[in-house]
Amino acid sequence: MKESTEKSPQNITHNESYLAFSLSTERFAIPLLSAKEVVALPETTRVPHTPPHFLGIMNLRGQIISVFDLRLKLGLPADKDSETSVIICDFSPLCFGVVVNSIDTVLSLTEEQISARPEIESRMNSEYITGVTKSEDRLVLILDLAKALNVDDQLAIHNSRNLKTS
Amino acid sequence: MEGSTKLIPIGDFRFCNGFEISKITETKLSNEFENDDEFKALLQATFLEEAVELLDAIEQSLLVFEENHSDKKIVEEIFRSAHSLKGSSRAVGLNEIGEFTHDLESLLHKVKVGQLSVNRGVIEILLSSSDHLRHLVSSAKQGRQIPADPQLRATIQNITSGAQAAYQNIPSAESSGFQEASKEYSSQEQGFNPHSKLPPGDDKIEGFELFASPTGGQMTEHEVKANASLSSHSKSNLATSANVKDESVRVSLSRLGHLVDFVGELVILQTVLEQQKDQIPSQFLQKTVTQLSKITKDIQDISMSLRMVSLKQTFQKLQRIVRDTAQVVDKKVKLDFIGEETEIDKIMVDNLGDPLVHLLRNAVDHGIETREEREKSGKSPIANVQAAAFQRGGKIVIEVRDDGRGLDPVKLRAKGIEKGIIKANQKLTDKEAWNLIFHPGFSTKAEVTEISGRGVGLDVVKTNVEKILQGEVEIDSELGKGSVFRITLPLTLAIIEGMVIRAESERYIVPLVQVYESLRPSPKDRHQVNGLGEVLHLRGENLPLHKLSQLIGIRRPKDTSVSETAIVVRTGAKPFAILVDEIIGHQQVVIKSLGEEMGNLQGITGGAILGDGAAALILDFAELVGRGNRSTTSQPAKMRGVS
Repeated sequence: MKESTEKSPQNITHNESYLAFSLSTERFAIPLLSAKEVVALPETTRVPHTPPHFLGIMNLRGQIISVFDLRLKLGLPADKDSETSVIICDFSPLCFGVVVNSIDTVLSLTEEQISARPEIESRMNSEYITGVTKSEDRLVLILDLAKALNVDDQLAIHNSRNLKTS
Repeated sequence: MEGSTKLIPIGDFRFCNGFEISKITETKLSNEFENDDEFKALLQATFLEEAVELLDAIEQSLLVFEENHSDKKIVEEIFRSAHSLKGSSRAVGLNEIGEFTHDLESLLHKVKVGQLSVNRGVIEILLSSSDHLRHLVSSAKQGRQIPADPQLRATIQNITSGAQAAYQNIPSAESSGFQEASKEYSSQEQGFNPHSKLPPGDDKIEGFELFASPTGGQMTEHEVKANASLSSHSKSNLATSANVKDESVRVSLSRLGHLVDFVGELVILQTVLEQQKDQIPSQFLQKTVTQLSKITKDIQDISMSLRMVSLKQTFQKLQRIVRDTAQVVDKKVKLDFIGEETEIDKIMVDNLGDPLVHLLRNAVDHGIETREEREKSGKSPIANVQAAAFQRGGKIVIEVRDDGRGLDPVKLRAKGIEKGIIKANQKLTDKEAWNLIFHPGFSTKAEVTEISGRGVGLDVVKTNVEKILQGEVEIDSELGKGSVFRITLPLTLAIIEGMVIRAESERYIVPLVQVYESLRPSPKDRHQVNGLGEVLHLRGENLPLHKLSQLIGIRRPKDTSVSETAIVVRTGAKPFAILVDEIIGHQQVVIKSLGEEMGNLQGITGGAILGDGAAALILDFAELVGRGNRSTTSQPAKMRGVS
């Protein structure tokens, strides 16, 4: 987990590529290197006693991958039918999938093009936004997925095993 | 992990002499390593792995040597192993081990050239030294270089030089149970002082001799009765493995794990293809599918065999255990091995050691009578303990057999009632009575001994075998004749027989070993008991009845009139039943670990891919109903995935 945060785009010197995607109406980007591949959303299997944004597990060519729904995590409206793709993220040793509405583009950004995250009141916990950039006159939030999903979520999942069934 | 072993070059890399290192140095430095430290670390890691093997070999040879002092070949072997150990440890910069081995080597040299006559004391010191080296090696493995025990070194040096010395207490890094005898030593003519304190009850030992003579002169030879007599069917195999030159490649276990995983997938896909091949119009393609099936089967067999290792090493470790245990309890035990060449999955071997140690200690300590008792019942004073392994019907069977007093069902039953494990009016078959000893908190001996006892032990054996190894333990016993503990294991842990079940819209997999029986309960057999929940009345037994959909938290839609099937589980201490919506079928599944992000979910042991490609969870019913922790689980369930 520590490795994964080191990989995050805090100390970029030159051009770095980002994968931009849409969640609901908002646009986000993650470092391209942390995305292993993008696949169409397959059937997922729910896992009992896990938080709602944990969609379940899927079969990726014989490997079992956990799939998360970022929208539920970020408090965005979840439209069940519009999700199309899963970004398979590799933060070794963790490997998990994140459901997105659409994959938009790959951005190549210099350090100057990324500004620090704005300190504004937001309905989202802004901890996992590492920076903000502009693309086609729209704001794109750069996410640290490991942070977005790990810090509290892994705990939540860990805790869930202690939940006694009623 | 992967990185640490994959760079080892072809050719069985054993440190039988110092040259191998230089060979590697050449090949390695030329291409892979610019970084000296990295190279050194790799060399060290490899050395430490080899050192364990060498030490195993040394210990084995020592035990043989103890039996037969005149066997010069064995001394030669021990000497050679020690020599390799010395050379290699120095080469990789582990000087403490090197120095210590150097002293040991000098001692061995004296023995080899006949300047030092061997007696029990010397053997003890040699065994302590090998224990100590093991300790040093395992510390080095954890990255700590600790200094060798100066006392032990001094002892060795003293014997080697034949110097006059008096010492007490042969120190040992890992107490093997009998070093408590403080031995007094002086090298006067009759040097040995028989009045030294001997362990209580050890009166059969006339004395420890520890006599060193630089001139190889006359020794005072007391007759020492070896308490444990050990033998192996394959003494020739005990020769150090360093001599065996076998073309081989070291591959990391995780890589093999991946291969086995993928082959598992292949087999499942192949099964689908095989089932659907009638729909293929072309005869030719149908034939091809059949061919493919055969080859897939071969690939599966080979890939499974890659991870198989023989039980020899596991068994050999037992020799020492039996020897030490027998000495402490003052019994004469002969340990035999049968089928030690039987191969079993490496992953299982690692988990099999502890249960076997427990069973053998139990056999020596509890199973076998004291010498007096044996004599009274007309048995040979030397007891026989046997560890056997063989394959039977696609399973591996491991038996620990003793010719001791056997298990007395009447006594066991009384004890069970006393401990509150069973009710006074409960009827038990002999087998059920024997199985009581697997119950946590049940100990057949009144007083706690230091070897085995305290009531923990056998229940751990059962738990380990059932939970981690997916196997079974059963007992056979005849009063006065002896007992057999039989462990039955699957050939591999990577693939299990699973039952596919459905609860609501979700499908789950349950390992078939957990399913005792399944039935459609009629409504009149199901009773709602206030405060207890639902109970299933089954052939005079009342089993708690749980609904799977409730256990895993699926909300049931309004329609409740689903036909349900009850699955009876009897793996734990208390049987229970689980209601599922449907049993879909049986399937062989490859166990996959779930991602780290999932943590350990209670009641879920892993994931698997179903025939149609969907991912499904593998459930552990006992854990799911929350009984696992109380009855059978002593540790949190581990993911049992292969990778």
